[in-house]
Amino acid sequence: MKKAVVAVAAVIAVALAVFVFYDGVINKTSEADFFSMKTYVTAKVTGYESDLCTAEIRKIVDNLDVNVLSRTAENSLVSSLNRNSGGELDLQTAAYVSLLLDVCEKSGGAFDFTLGAVSDLWKFGSTPGIPDEKALAEALSHSGYEKLTLSGGNLTMQDKAAVLDFGASGKGIALDSVKAYLETREIKNAVVSVGGSTLLFGDKDFTVGIRNPEGNAGSYIAKLHMSEGCVSSSGSYEQFFEENGKRYHHILNPETGYPVDNGLVGVTIISESGLLSDALSTACFVLGIEKGSALAAEYGCTAIFVTKDKKIYAENNSDNLETEITDTSYTYGN
Amino acid sequence: MEIKLFRKGDIAVIVFIVIAAIAFAYFSFSGSKNLQAVITVDGEIIETIDLSSVKERTVITPDTQPKVVIVAESGEIRFESAECEDRLCVNTGSLKKGGDTAVCLPAKTVITVEGSDVDAVVY
Repeated sequence: MKKAVVAVAAVIAVALAVFVFYDGVINKTSEADFFSMKTYVTAKVTGYESDLCTAEIRKIVDNLDVNVLSRTAENSLVSSLNRNSGGELDLQTAAYVSLLLDVCEKSGGAFDFTLGAVSDLWKFGSTPGIPDEKALAEALSHSGYEKLTLSGGNLTMQDKAAVLDFGASGKGIALDSVKAYLETREIKNAVVSVGGSTLLFGDKDFTVGIRNPEGNAGSYIAKLHMSEGCVSSSGSYEQFFEENGKRYHHILNPETGYPVDNGLVGVTIISESGLLSDALSTACFVLGIEKGSALAAEYGCTAIFVTKDKKIYAENNSDNLETEITDTSYTYGN
Repeated sequence: MEIKLFRKGDIAVIVFIVIAAIAFAYFSFSGSKNLQAVITVDGEIIETIDLSSVKERTVITPDTQPKVVIVAESGEIRFESAECEDRLCVNTGSLKKGGDTAVCLPAKTVITVEGSDVDAVVY
């Protein structure tokens, strides 16, 4: 009898030990943070292959930056396209460019990834200032997505002075690349943020904060409760400078070359696609609430607009998404 | 003949495993409740500060280029000055609660107060 009790105790003990050990292995969390794509990247992966994944995520983002999207890295694809006014694209990049051109068209040019020469004049990220009016008009005249033709895998730029710039879509493209990789690994869930554009991956109820325009990078005004997807924001609080009492931010109107001034401080997009969440956040910021909402709906995405006067406008086009305002100084505008 | 299932030594091992398992589980699932600020440079942790126990003004100057000066005092931490061009990190102000984050991109320096209640903040 006594032995039976001891035997049962032993079995329980071993089972418990195995359970705790096994749980530690399959629910292992691995974190990494690093700088790439001129921004801050964080990755938190839970699951059996989490260590492998965080290491690989770094390689994926670095590789995409240095070899494909960067226009400062000499040997990147985009640098080569800008130098040669076009060139051959690999299958994946051609797919991204094709979707970006679609956003350019559907947004009526509110999103445009040929504005490199224009944004260079503003010098955001280094010594920002108001550019010379003539220089701005000149740069603007050489920009415009209409000057691009994608035929097969071949991209041609009709204006040699146009400069491709993936600043408003590169972070989202990075999320899509990371997502494609994670789908091949044995993990439970992951949260990957490339400069604030975030991928929520796996089977989990996620909570995401929408940044407080007046607070630090970790403080938020509303929470999104959601299942997996990509979330990106564009905000006038991100990069800006003040001159003669006026604030100039980095989201430029492709029509004028000047910062958008329409009462918005931030737009957040929820999408299955990282590229769409990133590109549409810029497009919708430029378009404003009414036209922006319509554009987001066209892509089956949800757009959340935050205005200067602390109103939040949201039209939910996503499954499993709930918005909760956590900062009581903000209210719903619709 | 009676087969002995366990010897005394075996039981000791079993007891040890149970205690170790419980201890492991306890330390795995319980976290510190203090307000911890973590400073990283290029992804490496260079300093962890318990903000709730900081009494005097503490100055931290990580080895970065451009230079940044971080100050912790009475429950908060901030970039006090930076030699970078846009000084976005200094404009961020003081970090006081779990999840608060300030980033200096040029110096690759990040201050995070641990304990955010969301998975991510989009910006």
